[in-house]
Amino acid sequence: MNEIDHKADVVIIGGGVNGCSLAYQLSKRGMKVVLCEKGYLCSGATGRCGAGIRQQWSTRENSELAIKSIQIFERLEQELGQDIGLRQGGYLIVVHDKSDMKQAKSNVNMQKALGLDVSILTPDEIVDIVPILDVNGMHAVGATFCPTDGHVDPFKTTHAYAQAAIKHGAQLYKFTKVVGIKKKNKRIDSVLTDRGKISTDFVINAAGAWSKQIAEMVGVKLPNKPFRKEILVTERVKPLFDAMVISFKDGIYFSQQEEGQVLGGIPIPNEKPGYLTAPTFDFLHHMAKTLARYAPPLKHVNVIRQWTGYYDVTPDALPIIGEVEGIKGFIQCNGFSGHGFMLSPMVTKILTAYIADGRTPHILKRLSLSRFKGKKIVREVSVVG
Amino acid sequence: MRIRNHPIIDFKKKREISFYFNKKKMYGEEGDTIASALHANDVKVLSHSLRYKRPRGFFCGIGKCSSCFMTVNDIPNVRTCITPVKENIKVMEQDKGGELPNKQFINKDKKRIDVEIVIIGSGPAGLMAALAAAEQGASVLLIDENHMVGGQLVKQTHRFFGSREEKAGMRGIELAVELMKKVVEYKESIQLMLATTVIGCYKGKKRHNLIAVQKLADGDQLFEINGHKIIVACGALENMLAFPGNDLPGVYGAGGVQTLMNVYGVKPGKCVLMVGAGNVGLIVSYQLLQAGIMVDRVVEAMPKIGGYHVHAAKLRRCGVPIYTSHSIKEAYGKEKVEGAVVVKVDDYCQPISGTEENISCDTICLAVGLTPSIRLIEQIGVRTEFILEAGGHVAVHDSSMQTNVRGIYIAGDSSGIEEASTAMIEGQLAGVSAATSLGYDKNASEVKRKCRSALKVFRSGPFGEIPRVGKEKIACCYRNGGLTY
Ligand SMILES: Cc1cc2nc3c(=O)[nH]c(=O)nc-3n(C[C@H](O)[C@H](O)[C@H](O)COP(=O)(O)OP(=O)(O)OC[C@H]3O[C@@H](n4cnc5c(N)ncnc54)[C@H](O)[C@@H]3O)c2cc1C
Ligand SMILES: Cc1cc2nc3c(=O)[nH]c(=O)nc-3n(C[C@H](O)[C@H](O)[C@H](O)COP(=O)(O)OP(=O)(O)OC[C@H]3O[C@@H](n4cnc5c(N)ncnc54)[C@H](O)[C@@H]3O)c2cc1C
Ligand code: FES
Repeated sequence: MNEIDHKADVVIIGGGVNGCSLAYQLSKRGMKVVLCEKGYLCSGATGRCGAGIRQQWSTRENSELAIKSIQIFERLEQELGQDIGLRQGGYLIVVHDKSDMKQAKSNVNMQKALGLDVSILTPDEIVDIVPILDVNGMHAVGATFCPTDGHVDPFKTTHAYAQAAIKHGAQLYKFTKVVGIKKKNKRIDSVLTDRGKISTDFVINAAGAWSKQIAEMVGVKLPNKPFRKEILVTERVKPLFDAMVISFKDGIYFSQQEEGQVLGGIPIPNEKPGYLTAPTFDFLHHMAKTLARYAPPLKHVNVIRQWTGYYDVTPDALPIIGEVEGIKGFIQCNGFSGHGFMLSPMVTKILTAYIADGRTPHILKRLSLSRFKGKKIVREVSVVG
Repeated sequence: MRIRNHPIIDFKKKREISFYFNKKKMYGEEGDTIASALHANDVKVLSHSLRYKRPRGFFCGIGKCSSCFMTVNDIPNVRTCITPVKENIKVMEQDKGGELPNKQFINKDKKRIDVEIVIIGSGPAGLMAALAAAEQGASVLLIDENHMVGGQLVKQTHRFFGSREEKAGMRGIELAVELMKKVVEYKESIQLMLATTVIGCYKGKKRHNLIAVQKLADGDQLFEINGHKIIVACGALENMLAFPGNDLPGVYGAGGVQTLMNVYGVKPGKCVLMVGAGNVGLIVSYQLLQAGIMVDRVVEAMPKIGGYHVHAAKLRRCGVPIYTSHSIKEAYGKEKVEGAVVVKVDDYCQPISGTEENISCDTICLAVGLTPSIRLIEQIGVRTEFILEAGGHVAVHDSSMQTNVRGIYIAGDSSGIEEASTAMIEGQLAGVSAATSLGYDKNASEVKRKCRSALKVFRSGPFGEIPRVGKEKIACCYRNGGLTY
């Protein structure tokens, strides 16, 4: 391998969607950017995820970030000059009972106040949108639906960011592992990799499920925990539905890709945190059973592949972003808790504005690491998978 | 398109079977798969692609590449290259993805099988593993997704090299029959499941879990199989080359072509361009001539022929030129291959412009190597490494063929691309090792010793060099936990 650059303005750790987006935006602002990825681009959660994009959340923070992110996704193809596979078929969130409906109504009110086009559906309207669903089988009393939610291709997006970053002079080092971080006088001094040392003012910790280890390199404790999450894909069949269907109660999510495969996941009971990678039969069985209950015609479809990835989960299921108190230049961009793909455009935009211009919008404070210090946290409840 | 006169195989006319293709009545013969029957009727276009509506034909002929999907009796995405043709079935081309059937789903309960040793794949490696384990006294379940045993052997009409003990001088087709006979002799201890695909492999504490689907006349049956020891002998996938037009029907894998003509007695076309002058390319070229098909030439990107010179000499005697430092630049044709452009390449395999030559042919045969099939072992968490000499990513294993996951063994092409003879020995070694780890021992250490020394002999010659280096690297990875070769 070639010699690496030993000096940079910013070192980004992690070549997922967040790392690559940051590399693009910061290099575009004229900064000298180096990105280190221990495997290949998209080898973390990004290349394994469902890549659904949704704006229907229970917390204001997530909804706001998601709404603005989708606005960015809508312009991204033009900006990067490359296809990112954006498809807006909507998210249909199944509501199962009275208490579910109460939460759904309060979510919808909050989301509407943010300007989102979202509505509550009756059982009949559910099958108008996704005809293969079995309302009784799902035990549905209704649903919420937002037509501008959808799906983006995670590989295309990340590689489009990466190429644009390279065009702006960023160095993307693949198969380069960060093994240490040095600080001097309460500020970042340099990053140590298995290919040499890089002096820098800023380090961005976008290492997904490994962010906790990265933070430990400078003595910072993150509350994040890695959880194995499983997902499967079926063979291709003629397009049957456009929307992503999800349920917070069953934890299931599934959608049909443009090429006709059905993609989806569900949590298995009693999951424990840890770096497990093996897919399980329990998941396959549970997913197949639940999917067939939700959409009976899918009984005829063969599963062709199942795999795993990690959710990087925080106590409130909200990401940790921004500079860590007491270590100048140490920036967090992790803890996405299973929805870091859809939030990436806005999160990385905020961080770019902070690093390049020193701007600190209010949301940056609300999502900083220090929010966990003693205070009561408000948990995001609208999570699946 | 049927072969009737063949110097080695007797392709007598068999019972006719009528079926429908896009509502048109056609005839196949007993023993045909749907794809071979269609090919015999000169139907090469099996479907059109979803987005760009490009015509699609078959490629691998052994159920590994998904390019032969069709709708059969309303069931979409049927791999027609490994599905036998049946009286009156309705075969439809599926455009824009197959439609789901309207009929009621037949809910069958999952069946469970508990067994000592499960072997996935009944090629030379799997067959020998089954026999070796059964000889030791273990009970074995042998699974293959094909509707016949033998793996790649069933299409090899040429005589093998090597020592008498390793069946030199025999043809693969004879060998498959002989091994099958032995398996039948052991029917008390070897249970055979054909037309059954293992689709999942999960690690357990004491026993491992397999999920398999068997194709039955009345629908699929799901099996959950618990095995103390698993031997993975899934073989390999044929490599594709990147060039414009490589998706046209008529561009086939060499193994696919071999299957079509030597197993089903159907000609792949009239005139063939062979890409690759390794053993597979040379042997299949010769077999094409035997089947009465013209071979325009063999092109090889490397400056010298990769395969045995006896095979090359045989071809040259028949007037087939072998062009080294040449490759295919593109294939063209409207719905199927009508011709190709070949070009001279430099030392870096880059085409030299101005040296293009136009060839008219209806079949392009790719014999550009194999990639070990490692999907199942990867799923169960076996460590893999990229080892060029072994054909790509392979499972790291010890000298008993056991991987880093206890109880999971590997043998044959899926443990590194080699040949049928070594696949058999590796299979035997894996079978004996698995059986001894369960406590069986009938002179086992002597059998293992013999296997190991036979492998050494095979890999000591000049043509054993590449696999030998591959295997040494694998051993090195196993010992050191990384590649420090
Ligand atoms: C099954 C599944 C389904 C999901 N579905 C969705 C969904 O529908 N919508 C959605 O928005 N999100 C979804 N997610 C979550 C989403 O995938 C992640 O939040 C997002 O991809 C995170 O991107 P990232 O760039 O922050 O991290 P990652 O993509 O995980 O990238 C981190 C990178 O850092 C690298 N790295 C780690 N340590 C080091 C080191 N020491 N040195 C160098 N490099 C290092 C890793 O190799 C990795 O490539 C899903 C996740 C999973 C697992
Ligand atoms: C075109 C060609 C020509 C060759 N010529 C020669 C030659 O002349 N001399 C020589 O020595 N070698 C030759 N070889 C190589 C030799 O055939 C292989 O090395 C040998 O067959 C490998 O044996 P195997 O048992 O590992 O795999 P295979 O013979 O490929 O058998 C694997 C079996 O596993 C089954 N299987 C795979 N996955 C699954 C699953 N998930 N569930 C159930 N079943 C599964 C397959 O259906 C197949 O039957 C040739 C190979 C090719 C492709
Ligand atoms: S799967 Fe049928 S041709 Fe490859």
